[in-house]
Amino acid sequence: MPVSVLLTFDEQAYCVEAIQKAAYRSMNSLVADIAIRDRQIQCTLHPALGRSDSAFDLAVQEFKKEVLDQQLRLKIKAETEPVRNLILSIAFSRTGLQGGE
Amino acid sequence: MSKFQDYEAYLPASGQYKLLPFKFDRLNDKEYILTNLAGEFQVVSAEQLESLIEHRLTPEQPEYADLRARHFIYESNERAPLELLALKLRTKLARLANFTNLHIFVITLRCDHSCPYCQVSRQSEDKATYDMTRESADRALNFVFRSPSPALKFEFQGGEPLLNFDLIKYIVLQAETRNQGLGRDIQFVIATTLSLLTDDILEFCKEHRIILSSSLDGPEDLHNQNRPRPGRNSHQKFVEGLERARLALGFDQVSALMTTTEHSLPRVKEIIDEYLRLGFQGIFLRALSPYGFAIKTKKFMAYDAERWLEFYKQGLDYIIELNKASINFTEHYAALILAKMLTSTDPGFVDLMNPSGAGIAAIVFNYDGAVYASDESRMLAEMGDQTFRLGHLAENTYEEIILSDKLLDALEDTFTLSVPMCSDCAFEPYCGAEPVYHHAIHKDMVARKPESAFCKRNMAIFKYLIERMRSDEQVKRIFLGWANKC
Repeated sequence: MPVSVLLTFDEQAYCVEAIQKAAYRSMNSLVADIAIRDRQIQCTLHPALGRSDSAFDLAVQEFKKEVLDQQLRLKIKAETEPVRNLILSIAFSRTGLQGGE
Repeated sequence: MSKFQDYEAYLPASGQYKLLPFKFDRLNDKEYILTNLAGEFQVVSAEQLESLIEHRLTPEQPEYADLRARHFIYESNERAPLELLALKLRTKLARLANFTNLHIFVITLRCDHSCPYCQVSRQSEDKATYDMTRESADRALNFVFRSPSPALKFEFQGGEPLLNFDLIKYIVLQAETRNQGLGRDIQFVIATTLSLLTDDILEFCKEHRIILSSSLDGPEDLHNQNRPRPGRNSHQKFVEGLERARLALGFDQVSALMTTTEHSLPRVKEIIDEYLRLGFQGIFLRALSPYGFAIKTKKFMAYDAERWLEFYKQGLDYIIELNKASINFTEHYAALILAKMLTSTDPGFVDLMNPSGAGIAAIVFNYDGAVYASDESRMLAEMGDQTFRLGHLAENTYEEIILSDKLLDALEDTFTLSVPMCSDCAFEPYCGAEPVYHHAIHKDMVARKPESAFCKRNMAIFKYLIERMRSDEQVKRIFLGWANKC
């Protein structure tokens, strides 16, 4: 049975939401315990049932990449929120589907 | 002195572009796929993605123009890209405003076949128990004409609907009478094995431009194994019926759907060849539906998503080779996805819709008057699970059924833009909510997507289609042809 792995993320560089989302995406291969201590996000990864050492090693690598991807997604989401709302309002402006006053 | 400024004067300053909303996912070890609000996509390297997000791309870089043309970035003084993207998004969603188009009438559960994977059919002669009545049909017609859709499709299903053909005739004539003055675009389809066709039936179908949708599972031995009937001549009956129907109605008025079983998996080329031999111009390589008797008999468990994907890719590759050899043949599931990827339209395939097409794109009137959110919902009900039973034609009004919590909760809870993982997924514009499937398998309409075979299967297909297009210009031209036929 593979042992657990502890990963630590600086709270100034990573958002806990990004790590939660990465953990969700990885749930088939590993299970994550997430805690915040001293401005550090501590993430303990356990192999999902039946995972071999090599499969778990691979899953941990994938998890690290996924955290980075999720962090970038949050950055894009925040930066494009006003324009997303503008586009959606333009898209539906002539449909007659808006609620009246 | 020149009348014009230098070229450089028209270039935006480096890093001055703004991001438009987009999502991304890893396509392979080195590349990412980006998709925008309207489903347009662009593949970039990891370095390019980072440069894009950090605003380090310059107009001289080739990907800059592509990203700008496909609405991933815009320049500070521009308004047109926002208008264009909004227009594309509105076009994608236009179908929603029309509401329910497909109305499925389960005319009878009686059938002359006894297919092991069938969810609903009965070998009974008991008409009173398993046939829809005229009263139910009248109520269903009232329901259909409440839909605001300018196009109404009536699909007659079973069992074998030809066993209750008098009711089909009644509904067709009633619908045509009711439509006088309304001018809706009405289409009729009968889903039939073709084994019970008569000259009278064909004459009526021709007169009322009724299309026949049938089933062909592959070569004779495979078809007969999958679709047993007395006499063990299901394939022969199909071929005879096909020839008669084509002669009477026109060659393209009869289509066929295949069902994949574990027996089909090693034989995809033979199945495609059989479709070609019989003159079909395409095939829908379907996964086995996991409902009803398919679960009870464990047929669904006989192969997993990986094995089905192998079957699918092998079939798709073969079809691509046929097209390269100038044989015009389409894989219809790929065509539906490619229409979402390569055009601004959404073909409205219920399994790949968000919000889910259950109830609002298609609705089912069962033989007994019960109303279900989809064909799969009534199959689930045959197993005793009434989760997607929206009401009853004799007991509930149109408003009560369409505005029922059962339907609205299912649509709202599974909306992919707010579901974990789907909301961030680059492939979300091509995918669907599928509450009925996830409820059937996971007992949760949303379910954990990393554990979902639906997610796994579709993600793999999306990636494969993109990889095939990118690696071969000829494949891209073939795929564009399929996408624009949808």
